[in-house]
Amino acid sequence: MAEELVLDTAIRDWVLVPLSVVMVLIGVLRYFVAKLMRSPSASPSPDPKLVKEGQVVIRARNLRMNAQYIPAKAFKSRKVYYTNEENGLLHVPKEEAQKAQAAMFSDPNMAMDMMKKNLSMIVPQTLTFAWVNFFFSGFVAAKIPFPLTPRFRGMLQNGIDLSTVDVSYVSSRSWYFLNLFGLRGLFSLILGEENATDDAQKMMQMGGGFGGNPTMSLAAEKDSLDIIQHDWALPKMEHHAEEVLRKLLKK
Amino acid sequence: MATVEIEDGRIERSRSWLTTSSNVEAINIEWTLYEQVAAAAMDCQRLDVAKDCIGVLSKQFPGSMRVGRLEALLFEAKGEWADAERAYALILENNPFDQIVHKRKIAIAKAQGDMALAVEYLNKYLELFMADHDAWRELAETYVALQMYKQALFCYEELILAQPTVPLYHLAYAEVLYTMGGLENLQTARKYYASTIQLTGGKNTRALFGVCLCSSAISQLTKGRNKEEESSELQSLAAEALLKEYKQRAPSKEALITNLLKNMKLS
Repeated sequence: MAEELVLDTAIRDWVLVPLSVVMVLIGVLRYFVAKLMRSPSASPSPDPKLVKEGQVVIRARNLRMNAQYIPAKAFKSRKVYYTNEENGLLHVPKEEAQKAQAAMFSDPNMAMDMMKKNLSMIVPQTLTFAWVNFFFSGFVAAKIPFPLTPRFRGMLQNGIDLSTVDVSYVSSRSWYFLNLFGLRGLFSLILGEENATDDAQKMMQMGGGFGGNPTMSLAAEKDSLDIIQHDWALPKMEHHAEEVLRKLLKK
Repeated sequence: MATVEIEDGRIERSRSWLTTSSNVEAINIEWTLYEQVAAAAMDCQRLDVAKDCIGVLSKQFPGSMRVGRLEALLFEAKGEWADAERAYALILENNPFDQIVHKRKIAIAKAQGDMALAVEYLNKYLELFMADHDAWRELAETYVALQMYKQALFCYEELILAQPTVPLYHLAYAEVLYTMGGLENLQTARKYYASTIQLTGGKNTRALFGVCLCSSAISQLTKGRNKEEESSELQSLAAEALLKEYKQRAPSKEALITNLLKNMKLS
């Protein structure tokens, strides 16, 4: 095993610090570019269907949670109103569900927005990665102050193919990745809480963006409404009320 | 009258504050204050003040929807319904989902005494914004005023679903049921009066009376054929609670309540 490696202070001055500073600056720059590219109309008038579907879901959820407070007859009529297969409020015809998804994909505005988001993310990332690769490849840039198991080698020593170097040394390319994903806290300090550009989160959003359409929540609400049993709570209320009154009279 | 004068004083003060103050804080809240003063002025019929405020606002924010709403509100305050409706229609063209404007239109219909139109507008509104429980409440009260109890019941059910812990909705539901009459409705009404008692801790006099009335009505309807023993002693307990309440709060009326309860054969 290697003894203590002595890292040149020049490496600190010319690799570690510049790399970190550049990463921060690029993050800030990207934030402003994204802000510029964002569509000017932040809240276009919403689709009436979407508004209605959101409201239906809220109302159906109220029914599901508080069903025990209304008489059985009222509950039954509401259940039919929501879930019947012909024109129930929560019923989504199959073709329509597919159509909604297709519409989402073909909507040029949506695609445009996605493109912009993607561009503001991918272009700088590839550029910086190329830059780091070109100028800083192969450096052992830093040492973390605690030992690690060899499994971390892939994470911390990307770009150095030496199996004899202790794992706690960090290569310059790995330092770049650590900065890329780890600077979120710093950005939230610099740019304000909600402006932090979080790559990981953005990627999640991109992946899940298509899944969370309102028709899905309609169907889910319908299913859970289908299975609940109505158990009227009011008959019990009379006994509770008696107890309350007895207590009141005793005072 | 007194409240109007107080309001007047407040408006005058905020107005003078607006014109004289030059502190930093004023800059931030100045325009909001103008809006609020305008609305308050309309509340107490100081239309000149309201007009001034709206004039300042529309000079500052030309073409603003929020100011447009205020202008339409001023038409309403003057009673110029047609102008107000036109102004609201203009706002709705740009933003068809402006809930406040939709509600104002309903209010105009109501102010003109056209209950049927108000109900129609409310229904249209609720078709889209069906989770807005304030609108359901408005509709319920309108239906009660029109004596359309079945529809009112539906609205109150919707309200109970939205906020099951508000005793007033239970109480109103029970009252509509009692008004409709019939054995089944009366029994249900009694249950809802009971739940009101439970939710208010027996402090709601109206609910106590309701239980007594329901019980006596039920016993009259089922006189002779006592098929199922309404086991509960709820009504006698409610009567006792009523008596106690009157003894504490209004001793002079105690004789009245004793007589009333005796007539209902409850005490």
